Amino acid sequence: MDRRDFFKTANRTVRSKKNNGVSRKQLFAGLNPYSGTWTVNEVTHLLKRTMFGAKKADVDYFLGLSPDAAIDELLNTSFTPAPPLRDYGLLEDEGVFYDDLGVVIGQTWVNDPNIASDPVIRGSINGRRVESLKKWWTGLILNQQRSIQEKMVLFWHHHFSIQESEVSDAAMLYRHHNLLRTNAMGNFKTLVREVTIDPAMLIHLNGYLNSKQAPDENYARELQELFSVGRGNDSLYTEDDVIAAARVLTGWRITDIPLGVYLDTSAHDTTNKTFSAFYNNTSISGSTNPDQELDALMTMIFNTDEAARFICRKLYKWFVYYDITDTVEAEVIVPMATVLKNNNYDIKPALSVLFKSEHFFDVLNQACYIKTPFDMIVGTLREFNVSYPVYTDYTTGYPFFQQIYRQAAEMQQQLFQPPDVSGWPSYYQEPMHYELWVNSNSLPKRADYTDALVNDGVLDLRGFANYSANPADPNRLITDITALLLRYPLSTASKTYVKTRFLTNNTADDTIWTNAWNSNNNTVINASLRELFKFLMNLPEFHLC
Amino acid sequence: MNRRHFLRNSVPLAVTMPALVNGFTFTTNGAESPLARLLEQTFTDTDHVFVLVQLSGGNDGLNMIIPLDVYGNYYNARTNVAIPQSQVLRLDGTDKSGLHPAMTAMQNMFNEGKISIVQSVGYDNPNFSHFRATDFWNTADTRNNRRERVKTGWMGRYLQTEYPGYPDAFPTTSMPDPLAIQISNFPTQMVQGDIYSMGLSITNPEKIYTFANPFSDYPLNSAPANKELKFLRVVSEKTKIYSDIIRAAYQRAATMATYPTENGLAEQLKIVARLIKGGLKTRVYTVSMGGFDTHKKQVNASDTTTGTHAKLMKDLSGAISAFQDDLELMGLEERVMGMTYSEFGRRIKSNASRGTDHGAAAPLILFGKNAKKGILGTSPEIPSDIQVVNNIPFQYDFRSIYASVMEQWFCVKQPALDTIMLRNFQSLPLITGPCGVADDPDDTNNNAEKLILKMWPSPYTINATVQFSTTGGHTMIQQIDSLGRVVKVLTSQDYAAGTYNIDIYNDGLAAGVYFLRLQNKSLQKVISVMKMAE
Repeated sequence: MDRRDFFKTANRTVRSKKNNGVSRKQLFAGLNPYSGTWTVNEVTHLLKRTMFGAKKADVDYFLGLSPDAAIDELLNTSFTPAPPLRDYGLLEDEGVFYDDLGVVIGQTWVNDPNIASDPVIRGSINGRRVESLKKWWTGLILNQQRSIQEKMVLFWHHHFSIQESEVSDAAMLYRHHNLLRTNAMGNFKTLVREVTIDPAMLIHLNGYLNSKQAPDENYARELQELFSVGRGNDSLYTEDDVIAAARVLTGWRITDIPLGVYLDTSAHDTTNKTFSAFYNNTSISGSTNPDQELDALMTMIFNTDEAARFICRKLYKWFVYYDITDTVEAEVIVPMATVLKNNNYDIKPALSVLFKSEHFFDVLNQACYIKTPFDMIVGTLREFNVSYPVYTDYTTGYPFFQQIYRQAAEMQQQLFQPPDVSGWPSYYQEPMHYELWVNSNSLPKRADYTDALVNDGVLDLRGFANYSANPADPNRLITDITALLLRYPLSTASKTYVKTRFLTNNTADDTIWTNAWNSNNNTVINASLRELFKFLMNLPEFHLC
Repeated sequence: MNRRHFLRNSVPLAVTMPALVNGFTFTTNGAESPLARLLEQTFTDTDHVFVLVQLSGGNDGLNMIIPLDVYGNYYNARTNVAIPQSQVLRLDGTDKSGLHPAMTAMQNMFNEGKISIVQSVGYDNPNFSHFRATDFWNTADTRNNRRERVKTGWMGRYLQTEYPGYPDAFPTTSMPDPLAIQISNFPTQMVQGDIYSMGLSITNPEKIYTFANPFSDYPLNSAPANKELKFLRVVSEKTKIYSDIIRAAYQRAATMATYPTENGLAEQLKIVARLIKGGLKTRVYTVSMGGFDTHKKQVNASDTTTGTHAKLMKDLSGAISAFQDDLELMGLEERVMGMTYSEFGRRIKSNASRGTDHGAAAPLILFGKNAKKGILGTSPEIPSDIQVVNNIPFQYDFRSIYASVMEQWFCVKQPALDTIMLRNFQSLPLITGPCGVADDPDDTNNNAEKLILKMWPSPYTINATVQFSTTGGHTMIQQIDSLGRVVKVLTSQDYAAGTYNIDIYNDGLAAGVYFLRLQNKSLQKVISVMKMAE
């Protein structure tokens, strides 16, 4: 069945809600389990949102499962990668060459404190290590499993938003990243607790300067505003709560060798701290036990409903759409948050109920997501089945991965450097949200990128055409490949335009293409497919998923 | 009929005219309509172009404009990077300051009256992070709390005030071109408006975009998807339109001057010159140079007039000078001027690696035929017993420079000026006459020396008296610490001309070196004072 016909024949109750002048009719507002069809359309929707791009092989694989089984697999597959490796040789300073004496090429540097080498070169070594970390991470994104894991790691990076410009230390950045990665599908409360005393975060938001003599509120403020309860209408924590939380967190300090943290009791405020009615007037007793006050603070924060709702809103914007109407709040966010809280902040049950819902598969939540730079770049490479080295390949893989993250940075998504502590504005900045990814600078860069992939022969276009049930039939070919490549459908007239312009030499004679294909006329086929795919990936429709 | 002419020249009788502002139709009733009145006061009929030259990384202003009148303290503070006094390039009409020896091209520009130097430009709470400080300069908002700080840029606010409805209703017949062009990979916050960026960033003006955007139907019955698709189609269409306009303008003109080679800034300014000559009505261009974060080895050990910073100064000077020559050969020198800026200056005291660390205030340079020749302000205070924490206190707020450019180059009037700049800033005499702004009698601060600003006793402990004189009108005295932060405002109010005393008792400040900064209309004076522990 044609996807458009499916949409037309959908016969369901329509409710309507005005929001920002855009009418967003919610067919299925709530979290009722999805029981509709399970076709290429639904699987592609699910995969493009939870992974980077929907590979044909993955689409076929998940089509063979039930929707529930497919979502369970996406949520449950986890993978612990080997750490990043030294990929750099000698480093030059003023004409003298130095080696990184702490670790040999091809071995990981993550446990080396970078003190073995000459002091003049340690800064450069650190810089190269940070680069290798970004290459490694990009390699993992490219080589992702059939799992939501890489999208979640990037989500947590957006959420906690550590910036390389503030935390330049490679070991700290890796430790922080690893914390996000190991807890990506774990427990939100645990993750916030660990991030609170993570060396990178202690540097990033001045926690390491926070002392009873001079409380520093920076982290305590962001902990509440950005990382846990948020600034929603019902989040009524006070300025005094910020100060009290800062006092709870006084005294956490970093050790360099080995990298770690401890509570400096001489800098820790051991008086009792009391909080506002929003936190049920909680009182946290002063203690020199490193866990006691921290745990009490987490318990207090995560006892609020807002802590669960806030992260659900962020996850919703990351995976579904940015417009959280009153209906969505009441019928999606609140019940999802209840699931999260009832499961003591384990992320999986909450995501599971979201992805298995009618709401997630609602036609109105499809094709309305503007691809991030990583969605666009990595998704395209994966969907065309481009072969690239495994993530551990530091000789040929790392340089390739570096190109990828630099491309993404040029399009305004830079790993370890979100624009500020709030993460990427595409997920919070009213009124534009996702639209912020696209402007007169980034859009041409996207076009240049896909043009280059075609012109340089990186993409296996013939392979993609063969995904069609009958590539010799130009109508079938256009219908099938646009269904895989574009989440926003082309009208019948548009498909005819595309077919006529690129496959049938501006005539109505379909046999022109059929004959070329059947006679394996490489010159005609390859030239036609090149122009066809460049055109499709230049369409505004291509940037929606 | 040109709407702006209409609004400016219309007689204040009740005339009715539909016009499209911000996408809705409204009716002007001459001077009776507040909206029309605001537009009348805001819109400016100028074809002026402003070019911003960003020096990224924090330029060492003390080695760009070398203070000859306090050379001893300068040399003492940074012996391993100091420019030898004999090699400092002299400037006509002043023996107080000179230029880095690599800046011969700009020395000529200065002597020909095409340069205005403003000393010690900064602000009240200097930030030493590149990112934060760059945000301050781009937004013209120096609040540390990012929630309070506006997200828009100062040029963005100007352009959206001048061209409401951009980009949806543009291009128009009266503004057929991009509002701002940034020669860069990214649009910066400087040109950010409330919703849209008011600028286009380009790296290759001849780039041909082949966006495929042939379809205009919306076959999916889904408002969210259709909203996003429409947005993508609009961006793609506008980008195509403007890129065609830029390419055509670029190809219509050729450079006429000889630019220095292997000079990235010169390459960017060549593009700007061709686009202006090619007929673009674009108001603002931004170009940039990196490499100013000279923590180490900014000079060669064998000769401090050579090395990294010398190369930067040579490139800067050569590129701007060639650009100015080009504008003159093209007959555009009346229409174009520009300005250098950097997120901060560098520390007074050099470090042991022949470099300088992040600092506070620094000089900036305005260039163009209309720049008021001379040096505004005095050489910075440099303590004889220099400490590593000592910074240059600001004499001029950078937002006063911005406000003066708006007022004197783009002819922006009140109240729009204060709205764009977020509040009122001191007007400085920077640009000669095109907007009919009266010349200030206190031109280039020469009369500042006549102002009295003293404190006794100095050093002080608990009691002190500050004596100052004013020519009348608004007068402010700020107390600034050695890091360059304003820690107290002793007075800020209107006075009749005369001499006044302010008594200080137990001001609660820690012992140390401070500066007092007197600001009286366009006059400035800064003195150093010291507080001793009890």
